[in-house]
Amino acid sequence: MSRHSKLQKQVLALYRHFLRAARDKPGFVPRIRDEFRENAALKRSDVMHIEYLYRRGVRQLEQLRDANTKQLGSFSRHTKETGNQ
Amino acid sequence: MGKFFRGLLISPGCIKLILNHCKRPLKQRKSPSSVRVSCSAAALRENVISFNHLHLLSVRTVISTQYPVVDHEFDAVVVGAGGAGLRAAFGLSEAGFNTACVTKLFPTRSHTVAAQGGINAALGNMEEDDWRWHFYDTVKGSDWLGDQDAIHYMTEQAPAAVVELENFGMPFSRTDDGKIYQRAFGGQSLKYGKGGQAHRCCCVADRTGHSLLHTLYGRSLRYDTSYFVEYFALDLLMENGECKGVIALCMEDGSIHRFRAQNTVIATGGYGRTYFSCTSAHTSTGDGNAMVTRAGLPCQDLEFVQFHPTGIYGAGCLITEGCRGEGGILINSEGERFMERYAPNAKDLASRDVVSRSMTIEIREGRGVGPEKDHVYLQLHHLPPQQLATRLPGISETAMIFAGVDVTKEPIPVLPTVHYNMGGVPTNYKGQVITYTEGADKVVPGLYACGEAACASVHGANRLGANSLLDLVVFGRACALTIAEEHKPGEKLSPLQPSAGEASVANLDKLRFANGSMRTSEIRLNMQKTMQTHAAVFRTGSVLKEGCDKMDDIYQTMDDLKTFDRGIVWNTDLVETLELQNLMLNAVQTINSAEQRKESRGAHAREDFKVLFFDESKVRHSSGNQGPRVWRKTCEEQNPSCLKSSVKYPQSVMIWGAMFCSSLVFLQTLGP
Repeated sequence: MSRHSKLQKQVLALYRHFLRAARDKPGFVPRIRDEFRENAALKRSDVMHIEYLYRRGVRQLEQLRDANTKQLGSFSRHTKETGNQ
Repeated sequence: MGKFFRGLLISPGCIKLILNHCKRPLKQRKSPSSVRVSCSAAALRENVISFNHLHLLSVRTVISTQYPVVDHEFDAVVVGAGGAGLRAAFGLSEAGFNTACVTKLFPTRSHTVAAQGGINAALGNMEEDDWRWHFYDTVKGSDWLGDQDAIHYMTEQAPAAVVELENFGMPFSRTDDGKIYQRAFGGQSLKYGKGGQAHRCCCVADRTGHSLLHTLYGRSLRYDTSYFVEYFALDLLMENGECKGVIALCMEDGSIHRFRAQNTVIATGGYGRTYFSCTSAHTSTGDGNAMVTRAGLPCQDLEFVQFHPTGIYGAGCLITEGCRGEGGILINSEGERFMERYAPNAKDLASRDVVSRSMTIEIREGRGVGPEKDHVYLQLHHLPPQQLATRLPGISETAMIFAGVDVTKEPIPVLPTVHYNMGGVPTNYKGQVITYTEGADKVVPGLYACGEAACASVHGANRLGANSLLDLVVFGRACALTIAEEHKPGEKLSPLQPSAGEASVANLDKLRFANGSMRTSEIRLNMQKTMQTHAAVFRTGSVLKEGCDKMDDIYQTMDDLKTFDRGIVWNTDLVETLELQNLMLNAVQTINSAEQRKESRGAHAREDFKVLFFDESKVRHSSGNQGPRVWRKTCEEQNPSCLKSSVKYPQSVMIWGAMFCSSLVFLQTLGP
């Protein structure tokens, strides 16, 4: 099994930082996991996209670390049941 | 009291938003009858909603749309990062408040950067000057509608404000002995109008707004304000008539952010883009006015839209009044300096509404220039080229780029263009937003406003040039000072409902998936053309009424919107549509209030109710008659045109002006 590339290590480090930062703030951890798992499906070769997401993640991490960010909730829309949705 | 518009056109039946916030298990939750969950296992799990279980919603089914909402808590939040917003934000940070500044543009891209003219202040560098003369000029320029408390505050603070800016590092133009250069500007006089033209507009060549904004931005970096750049503020979070914060959309990643704060300051600027031809940026969409309207609060004096005399014909770009201050003149097809006829004393430096009307009359009477005889010329080539190069470099370039004209050889084609909105969110002189209930003014707790978005009202029915930049810094600071006086940093926030802002997100969702037949750009163009035709420099009752009806119809077409981008990251289609909603609210209120105000005052000139005075010498200063017959309404009744049956419409605009009686008294004591 090949070792992690530099970019992969960066992403993993970011994930760790996120989880650590989100420990005391309700609601963030599930969403962080969700986002990372979804984007894990990206191909290794799609470096531009990965780097873009990484940069965005760094900015979001800064905001998460800020003392004024308190919690995460969500608004959801569920449509009416129309049979076989 | 009539229908209140909440900014949202959702029909409650089919779609309901719920906030997945609570920790109660499924059995105790009563799902409302209109919400049904589909039968798939994953979807069933969706019903179990709490923070802990959020990861179970990872199955992205088509039917479920989720908007993550990040909650922030601050002591104060400022919406808008132009001149007023930045000044308020770092004023608050300086006073020790934990401040957030939410802006849809990067601070140095706010429209303040486009201001050219200058800042008025009675520094007395060019000749002897007194703030009371500035006060008189402003009150008179506002056509007696300005709030004298606010004007007093502003003009008295002006020298200190300019010196403060200079200390921040603003690179003012200098006289030979190193003092701040002050140029002549429209409507400024000495000795209460008797001492001739005053030179009190402090400037930085012809890019004062640019320098001001960059100076303020540089200064603001010293303080620890948190900037949320490219966050589009959707709505105010109001509860029991108190403002508890703002909800905003992060354009970069599509997340929703709720900023809870004890104090909210609105500094979102004007709404020039309701008109087809304007000097404003595409981002001047009146977001603050619309947020306040949706919160059920009134707006003030929206019918007063200033038409700047010299906007480039065709492009609409601004040619500053400073050109006329440096000696430029307006000429018609006969080569005549026509302003001499309309304002013998002030000539080209009469106040803007006078000049705009004069230009429009000249064009109407057939003395316009160009193939269609629909504009006039601004002549600068009689001035020494060095003066043009030092004092007016920016407009030389602007004229070359947008009109193809070399200002040292040819005149510039100009036309009155929408430039500024005197009206906005009503505030007192301290910057606190007020509403009018039960026959009296009442302060809205937790809400403040400053800058062009606010209506203090320092500009009344017409703004004098170079007073706007002054207004920004003085009232930006005033808001910060008022908040510092009334509150302490670190105060506990009042509780907020967990589902606050739900309606705004519902609206956002609806617009994001809008699938009607009319594009945003089409509806916007219709609105702009209607406003330009029906609510221009000269307004007539019948034309205004027709305009009101047309605007009603255009407003109804908003139900039939079509957007194309269904994503949430950098969805500019969605943001433009939100801006269109805001513009619509402003446009509708503007044209309706114009129709209701049956007099001519300042920038609002009615052909059928002419009480006009062009020549200053006609204004009498005797105690009984302070100029034209003035009548003001204190509060507008229900606006009949709004009561169309199915219209989800804003409540009619409550309009009132300043304390007219007190203004009479004050002027009497000031006069000779």
